[in-house]
Amino acid sequence: MSGTSATIGYGHLRGDWDYGDLPASIHLGQGCWIERRDSFERCRSQRDPAVLLGNRVQVYTWATFNLEPTGQVEVGEDSILVGPVFMCADRIQVGKRVVISYQVTLADSDFHPMDPLLREQDARAVAPGGDLSKRPPYQSAPIVIGDDVWIGIGALILKGVRIGAGARIGAGAVISRDVPAGCVMEGNPARPQ
Amino acid sequence: MMRNHPADHRQLEHDWYDGGLPDNVRLDEGCWLHSSYAFLHYASQRPCGVSIGKASGIYRGTFFNLGLQGEVRIGHYCTLRGVIINTNGLVDIDDYALIAHQVVISDAASAIPPARSNRKESEVAPEAAGETTRQPTIRIGRNAWIGCGAVLLAGADIGMDAIVAAGSSVNGPVPAGTLAIGNPYQLRPLKQQRS
Ligand SMILES: CC(C)(COP(=O)(O)OP(=O)(O)OC[C@H]1O[C@@H](n2cnc3c(N)ncnc32)[C@H](O)[C@@H]1OP(=O)(O)O)[C@@H](O)C(=O)NCCC(=O)NCCS
Repeated sequence: MSGTSATIGYGHLRGDWDYGDLPASIHLGQGCWIERRDSFERCRSQRDPAVLLGNRVQVYTWATFNLEPTGQVEVGEDSILVGPVFMCADRIQVGKRVVISYQVTLADSDFHPMDPLLREQDARAVAPGGDLSKRPPYQSAPIVIGDDVWIGIGALILKGVRIGAGARIGAGAVISRDVPAGCVMEGNPARPQ
Repeated sequence: MMRNHPADHRQLEHDWYDGGLPDNVRLDEGCWLHSSYAFLHYASQRPCGVSIGKASGIYRGTFFNLGLQGEVRIGHYCTLRGVIINTNGLVDIDDYALIAHQVVISDAASAIPPARSNRKESEVAPEAAGETTRQPTIRIGRNAWIGCGAVLLAGADIGMDAIVAAGSSVNGPVPAGTLAIGNPYQLRPLKQQRS
């Protein structure tokens, strides 16, 4: 058995670890709680701040910050991140008191081209041993989530979407267009209820 | 005969998990498999349960939950970014396929992982019978793109260059060069075609 994991213990999986270990570009407000250090393992952002969490933000084990070198994620105070997967090439901004449930993806880009030949070129470039400089460029558009929004289990929030304050996104809803404040959205494609 | 004995396992050099690779898994040159943890719920007794083509990347969160007859063939230059494959049939994935995170590919909508513990010797797969002619239960064509969170069920047959939009659920043919979108899904022609 590997001795290392036994000596480190499981604190790093339960929120009890030295948050000062995080890269300096990850800024935490007061009273933030982050269950699992690995939530930031895929944070490759070169920006500063790369991630900005407001006071008392809670980040559960299922949350994943997958940031490209150009990505930036900001989360307002008292938000609860249960299981968002942030796929971020540009900017994703989450308001205050937002709740994001299990297996929600927020992707500010499609990350691959629609054109079939360019996509084949992309597949080669991202393959193991491939040349990442040969990746064709892809578009991105920032996502903005207003204050007091709730996002249900498994919902998807796609590029360029703005969700107004207090909106409710149902489980499994796919949001690819803006949502007005206070609106309840369900289904795929999502429709106002 | 190829059998899956966890005891005398092959190991990936970089593995953090000590489960080892089942014997009936074939890895081609230059492919990347994140961990043998992908075989946590793997019971395939086929001559080759999983084959991964050259320079294909199989990343964290991918699981091969295969029953005794389960089989997955992955071509060259494919990307599987964290995909759960749950099958007792044949899942055939052609070259250049891009499959995003949280995609589930399963023969059944209410699938559970195949039982590992009460595996019976009598259930061992008959070898070679119809080996070359076995029909896929789910097929993903060359250069197809499956968006994050999509679900592919039995009957899904994704054509070359086709796209399954993020979050869609598909259980039928998606012809080459079309987009499947929504749940229930609709087919739309793609503007961009191979020229
Ligand atoms: C399929 C896809 C590529 C379409 O992108 P696009 O052509 O830019 O689509 P648009 O945003 O212009 O939307 C076109 C229409 O489809 C709808 N739509 C777009 N994506 C949708 C989706 N995933 N599910 C349901 N409807 C969707 C839009 O609401 C819009 O409908 P409308 O015309 O009635 O308003 C994209 O939505 C997608 O699913 N990308 C996958 C991204 C992914 O998985 N990335 C992970 C990294 S690998």
